[in-house]
Amino acid sequence: MEGIFGNGRLAEIAGAAGELLRYDPDGKLLLFPVRHHSPVCAFQLRRAIEEFSPTVILIEGPENANDLIPVLTDELTRLPAAIYYFYKDKKKLVSPDAEDYKCYYPFLESSPEYNALAEGKARGIPARFIDLPYCEILINTVSSKGLRTDAEKHSYTDDTRLARSQFYKRLCEKTGIRSFDEFWEKYFEIEGLKLSAEDFCKMMHTYCVLTRNDESKTELEADGTLARERHMAYRIQEALDSGEKVLAVTGGLHSLGLAQVLKAGKIKPFKLHKMTADIQGAFPTAYSYQAADALHGYASGMNCPAFYDGITARLKNGDDEAEVYNNATLELLIATAKESSKRDIPVSIADVTSAKSVMTGLAALRNVSQCGLAELSDGITSAFIKGEKTMSSAMPLTIMRTLATGDGVGHIGDKSHVPPLVADFEKICEQYKLKYTSVIPQDIDLPLFTGEKGIAVSRFFHRLNYLHTGFAKLVKGPDLHHGRDRSRVHEQWNYRRTPQVDASLIDHTTDGFTIEEACANVAARSFAESGRCDDAAQTAISCFEMGIPLTESQTAELDSIVANDGDFFSIGEGLRCFGRLYDLRKLYNFEDESSLAYMNSCMGKLISALPMMTNSPDDVADDVVDIMRLMFSLTGGVLADWRDTLEDALLTMSVTDEKHPAVYGAVMGLLYAIEADRRGDAENAMRGYLSGSAEVRKKGADYLRGLFRTAGDIVLADDSFLKMTDELMTGFETADFMEILPSMRLAFSYFTPSEIHDIARAAADIHGGKADDLLSGDVIDEGLYGFGKMLDSLITAQLSGGEQK
Amino acid sequence: MEQNYIKPPVEVRYADQLAALEASDTGKKPENWRLSPKAVRTFILGGEAGGVKIPRKFYGNDALVERCIITLAGSRGLMLVGEPGTAKTMLSELLSAACCGVSTNTVQGTAGTTEDMIKYSWNYALLLSKGPCREALVPSPLLVGMENGIFARFEEITRTPAEIQDSLISVMSDQILNIPELGDEGLVLAKPGFNIIGTANTRDKGVNEMSGALKRRFNFETVMPIADVRLEKEIIIREAEDMAKAGHIDCPIDTDVAELLAVTYHELREGRTAEGTVVEKPAAVMSTAEAVSVYYQTISHSWYFGDGKTDMGLLTENLLGAVCKENKDDLEKLKAYFRTAVTAKAKKVGGAWKAYSETAGLLR
Repeated sequence: MEGIFGNGRLAEIAGAAGELLRYDPDGKLLLFPVRHHSPVCAFQLRRAIEEFSPTVILIEGPENANDLIPVLTDELTRLPAAIYYFYKDKKKLVSPDAEDYKCYYPFLESSPEYNALAEGKARGIPARFIDLPYCEILINTVSSKGLRTDAEKHSYTDDTRLARSQFYKRLCEKTGIRSFDEFWEKYFEIEGLKLSAEDFCKMMHTYCVLTRNDESKTELEADGTLARERHMAYRIQEALDSGEKVLAVTGGLHSLGLAQVLKAGKIKPFKLHKMTADIQGAFPTAYSYQAADALHGYASGMNCPAFYDGITARLKNGDDEAEVYNNATLELLIATAKESSKRDIPVSIADVTSAKSVMTGLAALRNVSQCGLAELSDGITSAFIKGEKTMSSAMPLTIMRTLATGDGVGHIGDKSHVPPLVADFEKICEQYKLKYTSVIPQDIDLPLFTGEKGIAVSRFFHRLNYLHTGFAKLVKGPDLHHGRDRSRVHEQWNYRRTPQVDASLIDHTTDGFTIEEACANVAARSFAESGRCDDAAQTAISCFEMGIPLTESQTAELDSIVANDGDFFSIGEGLRCFGRLYDLRKLYNFEDESSLAYMNSCMGKLISALPMMTNSPDDVADDVVDIMRLMFSLTGGVLADWRDTLEDALLTMSVTDEKHPAVYGAVMGLLYAIEADRRGDAENAMRGYLSGSAEVRKKGADYLRGLFRTAGDIVLADDSFLKMTDELMTGFETADFMEILPSMRLAFSYFTPSEIHDIARAAADIHGGKADDLLSGDVIDEGLYGFGKMLDSLITAQLSGGEQK
Repeated sequence: MEQNYIKPPVEVRYADQLAALEASDTGKKPENWRLSPKAVRTFILGGEAGGVKIPRKFYGNDALVERCIITLAGSRGLMLVGEPGTAKTMLSELLSAACCGVSTNTVQGTAGTTEDMIKYSWNYALLLSKGPCREALVPSPLLVGMENGIFARFEEITRTPAEIQDSLISVMSDQILNIPELGDEGLVLAKPGFNIIGTANTRDKGVNEMSGALKRRFNFETVMPIADVRLEKEIIIREAEDMAKAGHIDCPIDTDVAELLAVTYHELREGRTAEGTVVEKPAAVMSTAEAVSVYYQTISHSWYFGDGKTDMGLLTENLLGAVCKENKDDLEKLKAYFRTAVTAKAKKVGGAWKAYSETAGLLR
């Protein structure tokens, strides 16, 4: 260890400030370096507190959450927990975009910071956070650096730098260590337990100084590190000046920076901006092991948090430090074997014994004094995976990883700091007498149109769903987004409060302090980000379901989206959605007339674009026809003013040279529907197809498909179209007939069963038969049946491209 | 000595390194092992021993090598599985040579492997003249391993019929081989140090699937193809140099060509080029060993028939021969790779890639 980390060289590599990194139990200041969520750091920190006996413990953490420390150390609080920080940059201090920011500061049993707080409480030593308030960190950080990167979730405890150290990478190359996790576990977590607090402190400082030396000053300035260190050093100096014996617990990479600032002296206080509670705040919140494990990916946090929390618990319970990892990995190995067996993965006792033997052997080979997760993983790979290692055969490794990650969720004991959205949620649940405290799923049936409560609760559930809380699940009810089950007058919901609900609500704190406000803001963002009419219309439907009227700015946004969207199909879908909202507005008691204005805008755009869709490609022709039907239907009612314009557009389409036959058929059908005298034109067009070559005749089938889609009654009025259809179908060779068959099947699917019956009757008449003959025939003799069967097999062979025998 | 054989055994080829490791080895050794596990690791993964530099011999996954060593020191056999050409056999030879000093105690699994090849057979002349006695017994490598406390290697185990494979079960379970013909003397107990290293090709999966009972007696390690192109290039260069030296071919190794070959094999194996273009994977084995073979063939041809310089046309022809073996579609896939990836690299990088792309016409 001495050789690897060159502890003797600490003073040399740390420069003059190195003297402040010394571990002196009799000194006035101890800078204790930690890695967040590291059990060994927590273990050695507890020892250091014992040895150093500070009068104050200062901890790296935004100081605007100092009043939440008692909540975290409350007896009823169960970890994992986190402090949620938010800042709304209304004053544009961070960037001109006036964005909202949020981050989590998670605490686990193995977090040194939590152990410092808990030890402080137990020993009556005051403990407080000393980092810049969250907003100041953001203000002092350059865009896309530090806490201003584009990550979906930010963690205050980011250890990325530790993992990108060139020093560790070189060490790994030399020693064949595969990853930073393995490196850290071997040299720090396991071997660090054997060291005294002083030696551990020295080793941490050495590694962190070597790592920090890889970083440029520009980078440290850009991500706000230097500003934060100036402030933390100021707080430390402030405590020292008031005669305190200070133990400062900070990320190891800050130690040298703090020492340098303290050594230089004359630290000026940071000028902090005044912030009101509505734009900057912090709340305690329950956290989960899964969320903590996810930090492993982007913030280089410790992986497998439940496993390492288990190590901390064992150490606190007085387990032998020399065996704690051996015991924990053996326990996890057995748990993995049990869980694998439950999932029908054969794992025998002999396999467990073999895995343990491999683990022990590997630990000896790798010069590590106990088996860690790396050895456990290798033991399982060797002994549990039978055959080639694939995704499925490697399931025991996945099981081990899942168990080591844990599924525990924390709990906040002191309820005096309930986040505003959670408070609003609970208030509304109380108001509607919803059993929100139970973890047992509850069913509720909501009559939508009788009484006010049903629709109000429905809107509340839709709002919670819109915020992705997972609180309520719609089992049955109208689906306005897809236009399904609109006739249902009840909604059936299933709801249950889980920690995920709270976490999601807290995540939306920056969106508003009430659920309604948060939903409105999320919807506003959705409108702002949407460039397509169909997307915006779906958001409008969500607002409708949630009972949230559109604001003026949203209305303007929607106008602009409709005006700028050049996609015919997007506008068509928008028209359909807005039409749905307009139809339902009274029923749902949501008197927002704005949808009519959007319908007019959409209709205007569609009509002007319609002639250009005459020769649409095959794959979208049916969609064009559907939109044309919708336009026709709406111009027969609420948009009647557009009927003449639509008719003009259809007439233009009917005389266009290049036409898709299905679209053409639909045009002729609609023109016939507008003016029955145009029946002859539709017939003439069909005759044109019938008199053409085989290829043109095939198009006749598509024409009929479009025609029947928009004006099915044309075939029922008299038998002329039926005869033409008959002529078309009987005039084809077998191969060509098979080609048009799908189109013809689709064409007749637009009729109702009784209409099909009538058509069948008429078709039978044409061929001199009776409709009943089609349904039941004479008894067929065996030979004829055999012949039919043979014919059938020949047709099948021909259809599948085989040779005719 | 080394030069007198086409392919000297590992223990002969690296005799000086093994001796240096043995001399400086202070680690704890499993009984009958020649080297300690730490020294075995150094022998395979490289390092230094008593002032002698030990070069790395196996590239890719160091932890896999460590697991193999520890498995062999335990009670279970080691089964190396993986695609052809991923150096499974080489690793098993290295492990055998380092742990036992012998890498040649081997059973080659084939469809024709019989139980007596695995256990023992008889010298029938002696058997007829003297009856069943020890002198008339022809021990199999397995029996040799048990009696001498060394490893027995079983190559391509899944090429062997399943019922024949299962004859290993009793040996591996009880470490006993019973030869009933020898009566009371027929009970052979395995000496410490005995173990079995099997190799199985994943392309043979399903041909003769191992029984669950046999699988339980092995720890499995999957040897993956090398994921790092730079490493693959290094291996091609090193192996081609060694082969050229052994064949007395004094041809300089062109590192650009080695890189080009490494990239070609890597991209065709992965089905995606470095630029992100999707290419079709040939059905043929695209292993590093195949790439080495293609390169060696090329320099060998240049040495004997050409001017000693690497001829890009020859390289492409040899590549064609290596890739288009079994499936006629592979030719089209190779042509498509040249049309897309090679042409793009020729434009972007030029140099050897340009000359390589100009040989595309030879693909027919």
